[in-house]
Amino acid sequence: MNRKFLVFVSLLSVLLILISGTVVLAQGETFMGKTAEELFPGAADETERANAMAALLEANLPDATGRFAGQTLTVAVQQAGARGGISGPYYFWREAFQAATGATLEIVEIPQAQYFTTTSTDFLTGQNSYDVMNIGAWYLSDYVVNGWIQPIDPFFEQEGFPVWDREAVFPSLANLMKWEGRWYGALNDGDAQMLYYRKDILTDPEWQAAFKEETGMDMPVPPKTWQQLLAVTKFFNGKDWNGDGDPDDGISLHLRTGGQGMFHFMSLSAPFAITPAPGDDIGKVTKYHNVYWFDPDDLTPLINQPGHVAALEFLKELAATGSTAQFGWELAEAWSNFLNGNAIATFSWGDVGSLAQDPSRSTIQGKLGGARIPCSERWYDLEKGEFVEDSANPNCVGNTTGGSWYPVMSAFTDVPELAYYFMAMQAAKPINFFNVYYGWTGVDPGATYDLFPPLGTASVDDYVAAGYDAGDALEYITGYGENFFSHPIYQTYLRIPGTVTFWEILDTRLGQAMIDELTPQAALDLVAQEWDQVNNDLGREEQLRVYQAGIGYTP
Amino acid sequence: MYKKSRARYFFLMPGVVWILAFTFFPLIFSLYLSFTNANMRNFTQATWNLVGFQNYASIGSDLRVGETVVTSLYLTVGSTLLTLTLGTFLAWLFNHDLPGLRIFRSILTMPLFAAPIALGFMGLILFNETSGSINSIIRGLGGTGVRWMTDSWSARTAVLLLDTWQWSPFVFVIILAAMQSIPEELYEAARLDTGSGWAVFRSITFPLIAPALGTVALLRLVETFKILDIPFSMLGGGPGSATQTYSYYVYITGLRNFNMGYASALAYILVIIAIIISTVYFWRVRARFE
Repeated sequence: MNRKFLVFVSLLSVLLILISGTVVLAQGETFMGKTAEELFPGAADETERANAMAALLEANLPDATGRFAGQTLTVAVQQAGARGGISGPYYFWREAFQAATGATLEIVEIPQAQYFTTTSTDFLTGQNSYDVMNIGAWYLSDYVVNGWIQPIDPFFEQEGFPVWDREAVFPSLANLMKWEGRWYGALNDGDAQMLYYRKDILTDPEWQAAFKEETGMDMPVPPKTWQQLLAVTKFFNGKDWNGDGDPDDGISLHLRTGGQGMFHFMSLSAPFAITPAPGDDIGKVTKYHNVYWFDPDDLTPLINQPGHVAALEFLKELAATGSTAQFGWELAEAWSNFLNGNAIATFSWGDVGSLAQDPSRSTIQGKLGGARIPCSERWYDLEKGEFVEDSANPNCVGNTTGGSWYPVMSAFTDVPELAYYFMAMQAAKPINFFNVYYGWTGVDPGATYDLFPPLGTASVDDYVAAGYDAGDALEYITGYGENFFSHPIYQTYLRIPGTVTFWEILDTRLGQAMIDELTPQAALDLVAQEWDQVNNDLGREEQLRVYQAGIGYTP
Repeated sequence: MYKKSRARYFFLMPGVVWILAFTFFPLIFSLYLSFTNANMRNFTQATWNLVGFQNYASIGSDLRVGETVVTSLYLTVGSTLLTLTLGTFLAWLFNHDLPGLRIFRSILTMPLFAAPIALGFMGLILFNETSGSINSIIRGLGGTGVRWMTDSWSARTAVLLLDTWQWSPFVFVIILAAMQSIPEELYEAARLDTGSGWAVFRSITFPLIAPALGTVALLRLVETFKILDIPFSMLGGGPGSATQTYSYYVYITGLRNFNMGYASALAYILVIIAIIISTVYFWRVRARFE
């Protein structure tokens, strides 16, 4: 009797499991009645489509068709196409957004070089064409001060929107999405520059021996300081270390005017120019410590101080260990040179780490080394007015260099709830994480769930499932995380009105110095002079107030 | 007979409104802006102020103005001379009775129809230092590649060559028409006096095409001084500021940095330069023909 009963219970259990499994499977196959094929027509292959579907289901998006059906959301984004960086994910998730909301998503692509001009002109002329704009973090001050965008905090406690984890966002990135304590942006992309190098070459015993013989130093793996990196790139530049019969490069940089070359300078110059505060709180911002852009008392530009000038001289020396064509390269060309195995190192955003895993764009999968941005053995002490040299305890400064491209909501939108739904959906953990581990999206890690323990909760397997080499994933993600969490001090981000102008000036004058049209000192003196003029034009007093608030300085 | 009707005002209205709205208003408003401190912030709040001639006074001490004027002058003088020389030579060549001229004439005018922005992107490919076809040809001929993108004067020259390529056909078409309007009798009479083709060109052709050449030169001078699209799309104004022309600087100042008052003053200086060139030209033409 007991035996029969047990058999019956077992059969019943199996049946129940099968039924429930079928239900789960049925739910997993569709979202809002749509299949993965319908929702992700732009997926590159079945694995990507399946991963996207799994992420979408995990995101648990609330059904909002009752609220938003028939509405239209217009989103402006940097032009890169349906499979391009930053714009690509918006296209990729469009069908899913439309299925969840019943609304129509219109994506307006604007060339990067025209983005600020186009969107600002749109507001200035009162057209207000866009509900959501994907912006670079350095646009935020102008958008907020002019009253063109609205905070999104009021939506946080409301129900019926996708859930995203604000606590998981790296604190330095979260700061870039806020203004005076209020959130304006939702998580999307997380930018910081880190070091990439060819681990297979730097760990090759033959090359290590040759390096030792030529320089008298052990090969630094990874290079921890800029000075070590220079020694490495100098050694490899001009040698055929990839075996293709041609001399290869040491470094690969994007230095074209208008090609975001000034970001290279910012990341590199930070440990040359920023003086840590004395005492226990070395991150404290004072008149002389942890300041990079302006004197926080009177807004005198610091850009032409000896530390910055030394950094520019160093950048020129480093660039000389690569192709002369670098001065005409934009991001794609500089990345491509490294990804195709022609340069021993580069320092750039997370894109390089993920793109290295794409066989259509990279020949270096499995050969990648990654580390946090290097420190400097020599830096300028702003208070004492002298250089400090200490190779044993170099000056290490983290950065959030770049755009960290994220969506903000227009203050004039007619569909604020729909706009927030869109922003929150992109920021929802499973969707954001999917965007991070697929390199073509241009979305870089920005939350702790992208990182490995102890900093985060991701695993190497997560990345391997998306096609990563396990070793590369470990190098890239660990280096990226250390970039955000392991530096004792961080470079402040310039967040005052006119930042677009300040950086345009810096970019142009740096370009002149890089091609020897001006000396580094002359170029940076001109930058200082022109920055002063911009602050005068915009109102020095208010600029100073915003600057002090932005960097956390109390006079 | 026809009777004057008030309806004519109705039909004229769209044109008048169009000109007032899209020609006169921007012209007058930008002139007004040039005397204000309008920028992004105060424009949004409508709190800009009149500052008199301050913007115009600042132009003299603006370092970027000097740099961009040098670039503009190089391109203006260089491109005008090259397009005139090349266009006139081609017109002279096509003014002869040679086989296949009609087809080649049509082909020659094609660059005129290219959008300058697209042309800039094409230049980006052609002048690419490592993989561009121009450096490949130079290397194939035994030379070393030119640093078109990373050397100031080479970059300016790349822009100059692209502009010349696009606008020589314009000169060609105008000058060819001028040449073909010269009566054949004049050539026949000249040939009785001399067998030298150069002497005929110098004494007959050139004087008779001179007014057309002058007009074309004027148009090219003004047009090239305004050049913006090719340096913008091809080199982003770089390397450094090497291909930032005066117009480029006006654009950056007004529409990227949104310093609208100052940008308007810069733009008006450009208008004044164009007016001076035109006035001098027409004054000379009038003097010549009166």
